Amino acid sequence: MKALSKIALLAVASASLTACFNKSEPNYQYMPNMYEPVPYETYQESAAFPGGKEGQLPAKGSIPRGFTPYEYENSTEGLELAKANLKSPLAPEAIDLERGKQLFTIYCAICHGDKGDGKGNLVKREKFLGVPNYKDRAVTEGSIFHVITYGLNSMGSHANQLSQEERWQVTHYVMKLRSEL
Amino acid sequence: MSSHYEAPIRKPLIIGDKNYHDVTVDVAAPVEGRANKQWWIAFSIALAAFLWGVACVSYTVGTGIGTWGSNKTIGWAWDITNFVWWVGIGHAGTLISAVLLLFRQKWRMAINRSAEAMTIFSVIQAAMFPVFHMGRPWLAYWVMPIPNQFGSLWVNFNSPLLWDVFAISTYLSVSLVFWWTGLLPDFAMLRDRAITPFTKKVYSILSFGWSGRAKDWQRFEEVSLVLAGLATPLVLSVHTIVSFDFATSVIPGWHTTILPPYFVAGAIFSGFAMVNTLLIIMRKLSNLEAYITIQHIELMNIIIMITGSIVGIAYITELFVAWYSGVEYEQYAFLNRATGPYWWSYALMMTCNVISPQVMWFKKIRTSIYVSFVISIVVNIGMWFERFVIIVTSLHRDYLPSSWTMFQPTFVDAGFFIGTIGFFFVLFLLYSRSFPVIAQAEVKSIMKTSSETYKKLREQGGHDNHSHSENNHH
Repeated sequence: MKALSKIALLAVASASLTACFNKSEPNYQYMPNMYEPVPYETYQESAAFPGGKEGQLPAKGSIPRGFTPYEYENSTEGLELAKANLKSPLAPEAIDLERGKQLFTIYCAICHGDKGDGKGNLVKREKFLGVPNYKDRAVTEGSIFHVITYGLNSMGSHANQLSQEERWQVTHYVMKLRSEL
Repeated sequence: MSSHYEAPIRKPLIIGDKNYHDVTVDVAAPVEGRANKQWWIAFSIALAAFLWGVACVSYTVGTGIGTWGSNKTIGWAWDITNFVWWVGIGHAGTLISAVLLLFRQKWRMAINRSAEAMTIFSVIQAAMFPVFHMGRPWLAYWVMPIPNQFGSLWVNFNSPLLWDVFAISTYLSVSLVFWWTGLLPDFAMLRDRAITPFTKKVYSILSFGWSGRAKDWQRFEEVSLVLAGLATPLVLSVHTIVSFDFATSVIPGWHTTILPPYFVAGAIFSGFAMVNTLLIIMRKLSNLEAYITIQHIELMNIIIMITGSIVGIAYITELFVAWYSGVEYEQYAFLNRATGPYWWSYALMMTCNVISPQVMWFKKIRTSIYVSFVISIVVNIGMWFERFVIIVTSLHRDYLPSSWTMFQPTFVDAGFFIGTIGFFFVLFLLYSRSFPVIAQAEVKSIMKTSSETYKKLREQGGHDNHSHSENNHH
């Protein structure tokens, strides 16, 4: 009986010590000395900045080191000019179709399909329609790069997801897919 | 008794015409009586000092270690000085109760209880410094090797500061058990004499149902002896480990192999001085002059003299080795102690620790209660400065002259120290009014060999008919 009451006491004690954890909230902390950051962390909210966001826009016209601004403007004329004049800056040995494939599969294939035939997963499930087959469009590497950079009609810009070099790798892979269709 | 041979040269340890009942009554009197006004005054002062210490410690923990005078060069100063000082004081208690037990010193019986109480109370004071000198004392539990969720992150067993944790905690727990075991028969005595139901209940709980049967006594003696045997290496190792905090470093003035025995000798030295300070007051205020006799004080003075001389030899050895080493850093460290900006603390330490115990060679001085009392306080001042000198003067001038600096304590440093003194006396004053301050059971065991009454009887018996007939005499 004495042992039983001790076990019961232990059970109550352990339950009361562990029951206060609410799964919908962050747990309690013991002395969070260096848990919250003193400097500003990326994406953090802070009243110190306009708009309350840590990520502020750089000054217009500034060029970070290792970046080349894209010269063609986001318009039909820009697209035509890019289609006619823009050529891949990648040397033949720098073209990595394997990486291009990986990037294409991640960012493009969901709509355009693994083969570039416009039969992506979202199209097959009829979430939306109207994704063209690469074969049906007269595209050049310049126009592909331009469209990935700015987007066109329903397609959005992918300049956020892909660096310039990655966009060229995808462009080369798209050209390869198109030749196979 | 008839076969007992006691050298006639031995002076009685219990003076006055005392019998067993007198011992009981004398020991129980301070517990059973009411505290007088002086006690309340002393207690209030101690409590005020303690509360002031609590305030200073709270301020330190709440604000930071920067409230102390320590700086980037002198990271250890009063905190560790006081820690080593208090641990050192504690050592005499164990020495009296354990080492003197192993050496069958009967005179320890009247003083061991209070000496052990002093050990426990001073180790409690000491143990506060390692915790509160931490920058993040709330994480102090990390020094324990406890399985945890940091991938079972462990402690490094190579640090003497970790050994300190084990040494101090073991020392405190073993001392407490040793002390309490000895208290059982005495608590039982208080229980049996208790008049009010409340004190009856309290001392029943404290005495663990001690009934004093032969088997109990037999085991009691065995346990005491085993604990004494364990406590003796413990007392030597604890202060050795404390000395390792310094001796294992690379600081000139700290890195010496003499430190372990020298610290232990210093600990016994300062501890006995503290016992003397306390008992000289206690024997007067608690009317225990028949048990804590001038002979006890003289014997403690002799130990103070011996250990003081060992400490003196250690100082000279250090100086010799510094000169002999040919290491200019070592030589400078000792030159700096003697002639640097803290020369006065070195001079104070030398005067208090080397010269003051040497006066004990004179019997007139070591049997004088007043001089003993003064010397015992002087010794503790000196031993405080010994630790201060070792710590601060070695740190404030070491390898790089660009890091040379000075140390200036703040009121918080002092407040913490005053607080521990207050806390010590709060505990000791409470102890002196609620615990049997003399191990009456042990004192009764030497009644027939070492009390004045029986010694006289034996002498008469020996002269009368050479048959040692004191047993019949009652």
